[in-house]
Order: sequence, then structure tokens, then C-alpha cells
Amino acid sequence: MASGLSPQERKLLDGILDVLIPRNPARGIPGAGELGVADFLIECAAKDESFDVAIRMILERASGGNIEDVRRIETEASDAFARLLEQSYKGYYSRADIRTKFGVGAHPPHPEGYEVAPESPELMESLTAPVRARGRAYRDTPAGDKNAE
Amino acid sequence: MPNDPVDVLIIGAGASGAAIAWSLLETRMRILCLEQGGHISDQQFPSRRDDYELARYGDFSCDPNVRQLPQDYPINVTDSCIAPVNWNGVGGSTINFLGHWVRLKPSDFRTRTLDDVGDDWPIDYQTLEPFYNANDANTGVSGLAGNPAYPDYTPPHPPIPVGVLGQTLAKGFNKMGWHWWPSDVAILSRDFEGRSKCVNAGTCDLGCAAGAKGGTNFTYWQMLENSGVELLTHARVREITVDENTGMASGVLYHDAQGQVHEQKAEMVVVACNGIGTPRLLLHSKSKNFPDGLANRSGMVGKNLMFHPLRGVAGVFDEPMKGHEGPMACSILSQEFYESDSARGFVRGYGLHSGRSTTPMTHALGGYGIDAPIPWGEQHREIMDNIYPNLAGLTVVSEDLPEEHNRVTLDANLTDSDGIPAPKVTYRLGENTRRMLEHGEAKAEEVLLAAGAKKILSKSDDKVWWRAGWHQMGTCRMGNDPARSVVNGWGRSHDVKNLFIVDGSIFVTAGAVNPTSTIQALALYIGESIKTNIANLFDD
Ligand SMILES: Cc1cc2nc3c(=O)[nH]c(=O)nc-3n(C[C@H](O)[C@H](O)[C@H](O)COP(=O)(O)OP(=O)(O)OC[C@H]3O[C@@H](n4cnc5c(N)ncnc54)[C@H](O)[C@@H]3O)c2cc1C
Ligand code: SF4
Repeated sequence: MASGLSPQERKLLDGILDVLIPRNPARGIPGAGELGVADFLIECAAKDESFDVAIRMILERASGGNIEDVRRIETEASDAFARLLEQSYKGYYSRADIRTKFGVGAHPPHPEGYEVAPESPELMESLTAPVRARGRAYRDTPAGDKNAE
Repeated sequence: MPNDPVDVLIIGAGASGAAIAWSLLETRMRILCLEQGGHISDQQFPSRRDDYELARYGDFSCDPNVRQLPQDYPINVTDSCIAPVNWNGVGGSTINFLGHWVRLKPSDFRTRTLDDVGDDWPIDYQTLEPFYNANDANTGVSGLAGNPAYPDYTPPHPPIPVGVLGQTLAKGFNKMGWHWWPSDVAILSRDFEGRSKCVNAGTCDLGCAAGAKGGTNFTYWQMLENSGVELLTHARVREITVDENTGMASGVLYHDAQGQVHEQKAEMVVVACNGIGTPRLLLHSKSKNFPDGLANRSGMVGKNLMFHPLRGVAGVFDEPMKGHEGPMACSILSQEFYESDSARGFVRGYGLHSGRSTTPMTHALGGYGIDAPIPWGEQHREIMDNIYPNLAGLTVVSEDLPEEHNRVTLDANLTDSDGIPAPKVTYRLGENTRRMLEHGEAKAEEVLLAAGAKKILSKSDDKVWWRAGWHQMGTCRMGNDPARSVVNGWGRSHDVKNLFIVDGSIFVTAGAVNPTSTIQALALYIGESIKTNIANLFDD
């Protein structure tokens, strides 16, 4: 969206985004519009003209950005809508502050990773005991190559 | 200008190319490996970046058609229900593989004898066993000894944690009285030879910045390059050349990074470009002696393509399953339904592999290997807030049967950046596989409920995972009969006596396990056979 969005268009886009990924106030999780995912979409559109066209098409069809409006756009402009949805999910969940709301660390996975305690040998012994008790679980195979016969 | 001839020319620096180079190192022959991609350092892996998940859908996608990096070649997948995925560069697809490290079983080598399907391999499990063990030691494999589903062996390192998710599922399997075992993994559970143990980062597909995952970039290549194996990167082979008089391979023509063509002569050529890249290269290497492609007098080059078609079933539990903590693919696996049972309505079988739940973006976009975003609106909130954290999933990994109509050919129009025709994949799901997947989904559901799942999520739309052509096998099969196979029982082409193939394309059947431990064991076995037969290597 090299030419940028007008304030009205931006408001509309934010509204649509809040419908796609609504907030959960009880857990302090913001909606995609209020989080500013539109900025991510604008960046994507600047790099990819076809996405720019998709967003424009959606904004032209939108009238208010409520649920009914979004449902209608999904039906009428399904390809453009699918692209918007995919990029909105990417923009929203690439935010470190959002990851933490789902129990995933804000940090990049490396080098820190996560602390996971190894199971004790006793625990593994008791968990696998019934499997071992049932005994061998693979088939005998005759020697030789039947293809050659 | 031709370069100085070498003794051994390996094409492809992935899993199998590295393993055979290691095996041949002691011969002191001059070994050169040509690789179309470059080195990638662990500092460049996206798992070190804040927005790491985005890389999965961009420059670190496992799909070359999405990545479109200079070293990638496009793959025409319009006639396939599964897209092959890979990495092109030093380490090959072990750069982004998930490290699940399961051996084939003895019965996998005898499917014709036992079940009247596929073909028997010209070798058996016992032949490969010492090479599995050697490769496990080189790779740094972790696991628990005593799995009753295999002849006895002991992984060199203790198991990685199975985590809350693995423990929960294990209890479900125990309730059902079904087999399960902690997965063997090519992932270090303790520091080893300068590599760090796994930090449970959970993004193994984005490159393991810890060096814990046994990609050949960490395991074999560093040592090989220090030991004098020459590795030329950004060298894309366009054709294997043939001496018209002898019918033997004389070397290759390759493109450098600027597209310039060079010639490299060699005494022996080893192809290690994987189950898609190898048939592509052979089919493109046409000559007077081989008008249908090199080593293709049987017509089998490119045919019998096998994947491991997958479907997933997930259960929603009361507690967080912490699915993002720990290696992505591997916790536990069950082989209860692996061996044939005629009562089930299909032959051969499948594994149930516990997948972890991946990170939030990937879940919202439908899961790893799937392109089907979850719903938007209030349903989205419900899924992400209350379902996603509490998910534990099982993947049904089915055995694909070799079928000639599933194949790799050369695309008539599409090319890579050097003008080499792209591979075209024609693949449809076999009826046996479809029935197997349905059975697997039902069994996965049963065991998830037994493990305490309160709700089952299954796509049940009769589709297999799309971007899940991780395992590519069968397109240059081994065999004793030159009319029905491309290479003999030790990887040598029936038609060209100084041409060897060592990657997954030589598989005769696919089993229902991840293939790389077998690919590398085979490469070591072929290397050993070359050494044993060195005096009359090229004789009939
Ligand atoms: C996302 C993902 C997850 C996976 N997870 C697992 C797993 O958990 N367990 C498992 O066992 N397997 C897994 N696999 C599969 C595993 O990576 C492959 O089985 C294995 O790497 C294949 O080894 P290979 O030597 O046949 O080919 P590769 O490792 O793919 O290497 C082939 C190399 O050849 C090079 N090449 C190709 N054509 C040319 C040419 N013309 N000139 C020069 N170079 C060329 C390529 O650039 C590449 O580097 C996974 C794969 C992917 C992509
Ligand atoms: S989870 Fe372990 S193996 Fe996977 S990338 Fe992280 S450290 Fe490496």
C-alpha cells in the first residue's frame, strides 16, 4: 500500500481486524486491530502488489467492518479475504507479546529454549513396563528374496 | 576448462552424500562433493529471531516453491496431492528435518514374501544393522533401549524427555494395551563432541542453533572438510556425462553461482540428490547410449515415488500440554498397527506418532504441513485460548506402496534459474493407503480418549497433509533384476558400472517410519561394499 491508507480506511481495516481476531478482555488479550496488525499488513502490501490489490478490494467492499460485513466480504471476495486472513494471523502471532498469552515464551527459541525436566529412569521403567511385558512386537522374516523366484 | 579429475564425485551434500563421503574417507581416494546450495551457519537460523515463526512461511519454508532461493529448483506439483519439501544446501534436508529417527523393521525388507505387495529388498535388516549402529553413533542418537518392536539395539545416548504430552499419551496407550515407545531421535540429550544438548526450543524445522539436532552440517560435514574431502558449494550439476565408447560415467557438467558451465571428470560418480533430485538429474542426462535418461534401461527412473501420507488427530485435554516445549516431531510413537493384519482391510500398516502442538502462528494457520487457517471471529478466540494450549496430537504415518504411476518426470516448460528442467511430480493416494489412514484416524481417536482427551479434533475431510512430502523414496529402486530396478543390492547402477546412487530414491518399499536413519545406513553400507569390491569395482 505504497500510497498509504486514509484515516477512514485505516479505521475500517482496524475494525475488520478486530472482527477477525477479537479481544479477550478477561485475559488482557487485544484484538488484531487494536494491536496494530494493520501496520504489518501495510508493510506486506508495500512488498507485494497483489496483496495491495487484495486489501484495496476488501476495503472497497467493506461498509462498517462489523461481523455481517466481514461475512459478506468473505463470500464475495473469497480469494482476497483468504489472503487477508492469512496475513492477519501472521502479523498478530509474530508479536512476541502475543505469544506469551498462550504460554509460549516471548524470547526467540534459541539459544534459551525451555527447561523440560527429563523423566526419571524409574518413571520410564514403570511407564514402559506394560509394553515390555507384552513381549516382542515385530514379525519374523524369512531369509531370501522372493522377487528372484 | 575441465578441472583435474577426481576419484569420487558425489553430487549432493545432504544426508546420504555426507554418509558415503565419511565411509570412503579411509580409502584416501580424492573425493569431491558438488552441492548446489551453500553453507548456512547456526547464526543465520531463524530460531534466533524474534519473529521466527514468519520464516516458516518465507525464506525458511520447507517448500522450495515458497522459498524460491537462488539454489532452489521449482517442483511442479499440480498433479499431486502431496508437495515434496526439502532444503538445498550443505546438510541437505537435514537442515530443516525434525530428527525423528526410526529404523525400518525386518518385515519392511520382505513385503512381497510376507504380504504379496511391493517387492522384497535385495538386502535385509540384519545386513543394515551394523550400519544403523555406526550411523547412530556418528549422528548422536538419543533413545531408550529395549523397544520390543525391534531386534535389540541400544541408542548411544539416553532418551530426551517425552514431556507432559508424551507421558499423558503413553498412559492412554497403556490403557488400550497397545505398543508405544519413546521416540529415537537424532537429537542430543547430552553434550557430545562439541555439540550442545537439546534446549527444547521446539523449532527444529527452523534450523537447530544449538547443534543438538543431527543434521549433517553438524555431524559429518565439519569433520569431512577438516579431513580433506573437497566440498564445492553453489555448484549445480546439470548433467552426468558418459563416455560414448565405454558407456561409463565420465564426470559431470555443472553451473557455478554465476551460471557458468564447468566440466568435472571423475572415476566414479555417486548421486545423492534425494528422491526427487536424483531421478530429475538422471532423466536430464540423456546421451546416445542412454536416450531415455542415464541408468534408465529398465524405465524405472522416476517411477514408484513413495511418500508417507499423513493425517492428524488431536485431543483437547484439561491441562496445558506444553506442546511447544521440546523437539517438534518426537515424543513417543506407537507401532501397534505397523505389521499387516488381514482383518483390518488393508495390507502393511502405519505408525501413530505424537506430534507436539507447534507455536501459535503455525496452529492458527492450520498446523505444520497443512494450509488451512482456523476460523476467525469468536471461534478463533475459543480455539486459541482454550483449545490450543491443551492439545496433544497423533499423526498417522502410513506406509505407501510402490505404484509406477506415482512418479517424477521432467517438466516440459518449468526450469530452474540455470534452465535445467524442473521435476514434475505425479502422485495420487492409493486405495490401500486411504483405508489405512482412515483406520489410523479411528485408532488415534480411541487412544486420545483413553488418555483423557475431552474432545477430539479431526479434519476428517479425506485429505492428507499437503506440504508434507518430507520423505521421498523409491524413484531409482534397488533390486537384483535389471529389468525392474535401477541399482543393484549395493547401490551400483545396473547399466553404468561406475555410477552409484545412495539416497532415498533406492528404497524398494517405504515402511511407515521416517527414512533418514535407513538412508544413511544404506549409504554407509554402499560405501563399505565399494571398499570390499574395490579391486573389481566396475566389473560385470
Ligand atoms: C521439513 C522436513 C522434516 C523432516 N523430518 C524428518 C524426520 O523427522 N526424520 C527423518 O528421518 N527424515 C525427515 N525428513 C526427511 C530427511 O530430511 C530426508 O530423508 C533426508 O535429508 C534425505 O537425504 P538425501 O541425502 O536423500 O537428500 P537431501 O538431504 O535432501 O540432500 C540432497 C542434496 O542434494 C543437493 N542437490 C540436488 N540436486 C543437485 C544438483 N543437481 N546439483 C548439486 N546438488 C544437488 C541438494 O541441494 C541437497 O543439499 C524431513 C525433511 C524435511 C524437509
Ligand atoms: S528443540 Fe532441540 S533439536 Fe530442536 S531445534 Fe531446539 S535444540 Fe535443536
